[in-house]
Amino acid sequence: MSNDTDPNRSADRDQQPGGSNADAVQVLASGASAAHAYGRSDLAARLEATQVRLLQSDVNVVVIGEFKQGKSSLINALLNAEVCPVDDDIATAVPTSIRHGVKRAAWAIVAPPMDGSERANVDQFERRPIEFNSIADYASERVADTDTDVRAVEIELTRRLLADGLVLVDTPGVGGLGSAHATAALGALSVADAAIFLSDASQEYTATEMGFLKQALDMCPHVTCVMTKTDFYPAWRKVRELNMEHLRRAGRETTIIPVSSTLRVEAIRRDDKSLNAESGFPELVSRLTKDVVEGAARRERANAYRDLVAVTDQLVAQFETELSALNDPEARAALVARLQEATHRSESLRSQAAKWSVTLNDGVGDLTANIDFDFRERIRKVTSEADAAIGNSDPQETWAEFEPWLSERVSFDVVGNYRFLTDESVSLSRSVAEHFEIDGGEVLEQLDIQNPAAVLARITADTSIETNDTSTATKGLTMLRGSYSGALMFSMLGTMIGVAPLTPIIVGIGLVMGRKGLKDEKERQITQRRAQARNAVRKFSDEVTFQVSKDSRDTLRRTQRQIRDFYTARAEELHRSTTEALATAKSAAQTGEAERTTRVRDIEAELIRLRKLQTRAQALSATPAASRSRAR
Amino acid sequence: MSLIDQTRRLLDHADQVFAGTPQHDEIRQLRTRLDEPLRVAIAGKVKAGKSTLLNALVGEVLAPTDTGECTRVVTWYRDGHTYQVMLHPADGTSPVQARFTRDDGAIDIDLDGREALTIDRLDVTWPSSNLRTLTLIDTPGVDSMTESISTRTFEFLDPKDNDTPADAVLYLMKHIHASDLRLLEAFHDDSVSSPNPVNAIAVLSRADEIGAGRSDSMASAARIAQRLGEDNRLRRLVQMIVPVAGLLAETAGTLTEAEYRELSALATHSDQLELVLLSADRFVEATPDTPLTSLDRERLLGRFGLFGLRTAIELIQSGTVATSQQLSNQLGELSGLIELRTVLSTLFVSRSDVLKARSALLAIERLCHEHSQRAGATGLEAELERVMSSAHPFNEMNTMAAIRSGWVTGSKKQLGDLERLLGTTGTLAPQRLGLTSAATPEEIRAAAVTELSRWQRAAENPLTTHDLATAIRVAIRSLEGIVAAT
Repeated sequence: MSNDTDPNRSADRDQQPGGSNADAVQVLASGASAAHAYGRSDLAARLEATQVRLLQSDVNVVVIGEFKQGKSSLINALLNAEVCPVDDDIATAVPTSIRHGVKRAAWAIVAPPMDGSERANVDQFERRPIEFNSIADYASERVADTDTDVRAVEIELTRRLLADGLVLVDTPGVGGLGSAHATAALGALSVADAAIFLSDASQEYTATEMGFLKQALDMCPHVTCVMTKTDFYPAWRKVRELNMEHLRRAGRETTIIPVSSTLRVEAIRRDDKSLNAESGFPELVSRLTKDVVEGAARRERANAYRDLVAVTDQLVAQFETELSALNDPEARAALVARLQEATHRSESLRSQAAKWSVTLNDGVGDLTANIDFDFRERIRKVTSEADAAIGNSDPQETWAEFEPWLSERVSFDVVGNYRFLTDESVSLSRSVAEHFEIDGGEVLEQLDIQNPAAVLARITADTSIETNDTSTATKGLTMLRGSYSGALMFSMLGTMIGVAPLTPIIVGIGLVMGRKGLKDEKERQITQRRAQARNAVRKFSDEVTFQVSKDSRDTLRRTQRQIRDFYTARAEELHRSTTEALATAKSAAQTGEAERTTRVRDIEAELIRLRKLQTRAQALSATPAASRSRAR
Repeated sequence: MSLIDQTRRLLDHADQVFAGTPQHDEIRQLRTRLDEPLRVAIAGKVKAGKSTLLNALVGEVLAPTDTGECTRVVTWYRDGHTYQVMLHPADGTSPVQARFTRDDGAIDIDLDGREALTIDRLDVTWPSSNLRTLTLIDTPGVDSMTESISTRTFEFLDPKDNDTPADAVLYLMKHIHASDLRLLEAFHDDSVSSPNPVNAIAVLSRADEIGAGRSDSMASAARIAQRLGEDNRLRRLVQMIVPVAGLLAETAGTLTEAEYRELSALATHSDQLELVLLSADRFVEATPDTPLTSLDRERLLGRFGLFGLRTAIELIQSGTVATSQQLSNQLGELSGLIELRTVLSTLFVSRSDVLKARSALLAIERLCHEHSQRAGATGLEAELERVMSSAHPFNEMNTMAAIRSGWVTGSKKQLGDLERLLGTTGTLAPQRLGLTSAATPEEIRAAAVTELSRWQRAAENPLTTHDLATAIRVAIRSLEGIVAAT
């Protein structure tokens, strides 16, 4: 704990709010060893878990854009490595994530072979090591020929840019931004920390691109617009101006970073700094490291410090109780009585009948039903739209367009339903937090002797979990956001579900010769085809509904478990704090005079140390709120 | 009697049936149309490079091209003795002559304050040898449809047999992924023609952009065109896909001596050309000790594009070309323009009689359908039916369309060979038989006889499906024609 008192260092920190992750880990470690020393291994474990989370925190940045806008080239140029396969024709087929590793390695995420009727569960996927040189065989469309059902590729690479937890995810741009794939990418965005939106300088944003971009800006706190291929298109400045105007008209004041991957590669080859500056990459790198990664780290650190404040609160409260019991023998009986009541209350917080627990269980039940209803309602609308479209056309002629339309439309609703789910989960976990806060607050009120209000205020910051991070906030969702499997699940949506192709009704060639006959025959067959098409639509929506309800039930169950575990752990901690306080208060009665004086001195010394740690943690956790609101 | 003569006779018949009706004038026009050059429309999405390609084919900068959307009215370009622009109002009133100026080469037509919507079409007559065999029609192009995708009516493109102002169509498409919903959008333009593998080819435009100007961009584009050409959805709509770098093609067709001199100066005088040509920005930035001002460089860049500049300078430096004519030829070859011309001539020009007859017969069919109550219409329709089903070229076309539509089942090789025999790669005997153009009459005859017995066996094979056998019999008929002619 020696560095606690270094004034220069704290002065530095005032300028650099939150310090670095390494600093934070050190502060947390001192908190954890204090908790150990005071015999609270439960609190120590909590801080240790926080340390691990801080060190392993990933910042997922999804690279999105139309087919052939240079997404893979950009990632390669950014990292100076041929990781993402680049080809003029063959496109990236599966999401490819690149993270930091001690040595370069690659894995393919492979789905188990299916007999057609079954759908693979994300948990059943195999992570198979692959040769670094053969990444292209797995990540690009070529793999479609083989039997291996590759769903994603993961790459580890030793790069300074990635060292702070940055994970770049290359997404398939196939199918266009209006397609099921793109909607799936939007879904992936909702769980990503940031996104890079790519469009090349050949022309201004299309209506589709603008629509996609607007949605992306709504769903993701941090979208960086990048314009590629500025080396090739002389009019890039004009196009960029037009695009900025488009964004402005849509009410989005954001800049567009012009880059040239070709120049960047050439700059690295020639080791030419000015050429590198010309390529526009330095700005992109600084955007990524300063705004995105550092921003995420700041948030992460602030949460860590809040954890530390909460832990020290309990330790302080415990010591203060003991201290007042030792200092004021007359009031001891009353104190013990209040502590007994607090213990009783904290006991009830742990029980199944606790208000927060009931709120959670009821809420999840309601939510499951609501989400299911919402989705069925959406699908019902799609089906009737599809029916109408089929009724107005000859399915054999329109199927080639109808099928992608249907997938796109359905994916849109899947994402819509998912957003409904996340929004509702957030408000549910908020009301659980409120209940816990009220009941837990009372416990602490009982516990705190000298200044209940202050402790209550502090504990509020703890129980309502990351309250000032309103957009993504609650514990249940921390799991979804930033979890790669979440992004994976969505990116796969496009490939998981397909509309059954219509079997063509063969028209005899003889009829082709007799022209009138052919026309009549065609008319006659339309009815038959419409029935076939409607069947295909129904089968498709049944399957999607089944799959989506299963997924959302699973997600809700995981959310429920996570929220429950979180508050159960908090309740356990509180209970232990109250029981220990009660025990020490009781034992204070038996303490002899000499022993009492030593103990009081010890406790006072410990309290000074703890308060110092607490003040520091508080100061550090207070800073990032301002920077976060700027990021949004 | 040849097909075109049969068509003329049928038009005479129609002339009598519709004498004294408003349709009479239309039939007149159909007849003159038979004697005019083949009409080829250039269609595709907005900004696909339609006007640029038109200029390349004419070999003169006629159609204005700009970064904005600039062709707003359907414009016809045809050969004639005088320079003249006629404006056809949409309300059907008689055409008026429009004034025009030439702005930087391109024709700037004075619409006299009229809205684009009130104009049916502009008719530009321009003396040009390249327009002698083809009349070209520039179209405004279809807008992106994805915006209203959920509400739009699903309009797809089964080969439709409708009569249209154009006899054949070039569809310009950009490189998009096969699973893209917008892959087929380029073909939605039915203002001048509906897609049909018998009279449509697709052009993979802006081919130089596919590799972002790398030296192997065109090879890459050719590979993509080939693969797209195997996509069943596209095969139902067009005969083949040709990659063309439009801007380079236009410049190759209209290259000036001055431009050649400027390029030569650059090629010989500049140090570190490689670094200068690394990006468009770098190229435009002139230093005092290098030839050409920034303004000149910008103009060159606008004409050639970065890919064109790199290629042209490389050609001059390596000594491959030494005159502007040679450079023009080389660039024409490289841009795909020469290939496109060859394709146009084998697929369209060589069968222009059949295509023109088809347009006329389809128009008569529509007239009969619309006026079925008119005396004599039934008789006319019966005769039309007879011409259409007995004319072997039509049977070839229909069979080809049927194969492409998946109505005929057979092995891939078998169907591919059938298509070739039916004339998808060209209607000359060596092309149908897959021989080189240098093949002697004896070789052609021998090959035809071999093929004939192969297909006769196949047709008689009891395992051959009825539909396939029907298709084969059409091909046998084509082969018999070849044998008879040698």
